[in-house]
Amino acid sequence: MMSTSQAIYAGWMEITDSAVEEAARRRAEDDALAGLVDQYASSLYRVAYSVLRNRADAEDAVQETFLRVLRHRASLGEVRDHRVWLIRIVWNIVLDRKRRAKTRPETDDVSELARVLPSTGLSAEELAAAAQHHAHVLACVEKLPTKEREVLLLSAFEELSSVEIAEVLNITESSVRSRLFRARNLMASLLDHARNSK
Amino acid sequence: MTTNPHNPNLSASVPGSAEETLRIVAGLPAPAGLEDRVHVALREAHRHNLQRNMDGVEVDRRGRVLAWPTALKPQSSWMRTAAAAAIVFVVAGGGWGVYTRVEQNRPAKVLVMPSRGGFSGAGAIRTPQTIPGPVAPPAAQAKAAKKPTGKVGTKAASRAASKPSMIGQPAPQQ
Repeated sequence: MMSTSQAIYAGWMEITDSAVEEAARRRAEDDALAGLVDQYASSLYRVAYSVLRNRADAEDAVQETFLRVLRHRASLGEVRDHRVWLIRIVWNIVLDRKRRAKTRPETDDVSELARVLPSTGLSAEELAAAAQHHAHVLACVEKLPTKEREVLLLSAFEELSSVEIAEVLNITESSVRSRLFRARNLMASLLDHARNSK
Repeated sequence: MTTNPHNPNLSASVPGSAEETLRIVAGLPAPAGLEDRVHVALREAHRHNLQRNMDGVEVDRRGRVLAWPTALKPQSSWMRTAAAAAIVFVVAGGGWGVYTRVEQNRPAKVLVMPSRGGFSGAGAIRTPQTIPGPVAPPAAQAKAAKKPTGKVGTKAASRAASKPSMIGQPAPQQ
């Protein structure tokens, strides 16, 4: 029995103009995807890094995000806000990675944190103290309940409004606000507790 | 005590200092060449989806828009007629197949119901339960026959000895 590809090569079936149109459409989709990479790769990296706090893992998450987009590039035209859509994809990827691999984040290490944080106008001692402080804060963030932690992490991105955070997390805007309020209170009590115990 | 060397005032408002930390982490610059590496990964993934045909030309492995030859296009009238005939043939053939395989109706069994209602006997015949007959003790009979006492008692005793007892009742004691 003749397969489809054999039928094409034998000339029994023919590739029509619609196939050419399809190729042109795919080229346009590829160009659009390349544009998205140039525009949003850095933002997505920062979102991924804020959760994973590991440079290699964050970069992998960004690549995986765009590979997913490549697989579903046909639906690119239906997306209203590409930025929020991409952040939502990378957010789900990093949460999934964090659940599966319980690897210790690089930035739990104070020396690593001191290396990655900005160090303008600080002496070595001040930089070490700052890194210690940030490491302590990040450890407290890890102790927060998942829902509150997620909102707090996303709220740190200045380019994301509460409406967009709600869209990323698939919750209402009022839920974002109430979770953020709880997260701040919990953080305050955690940091107070740590300060009093010292 | 934990202090924030970047801004000592932030230590007073604890959540503020925490948010500043998060903001610093969120604002870390992406590594150089990230976009290029993503482009390379996408190109690799795209190439993986392609395969070379006989002429060495890369074709997409995923989907292809094919068209039927003009003579076999579904829009042509004789193709439509043939398709309609095939559908009619399949439907009629299926119906005929079902009709020939289904068993014909048999006459139903008629049960005579009682005229006043209730359940029918379904032709069952009642057989009464048989009761085991009385067994008279032979020793008592022999004793009564040997010792006759008094006129009245003699008659009654002899009558009792000659008659079998009532069904289901024990024989009178002597």
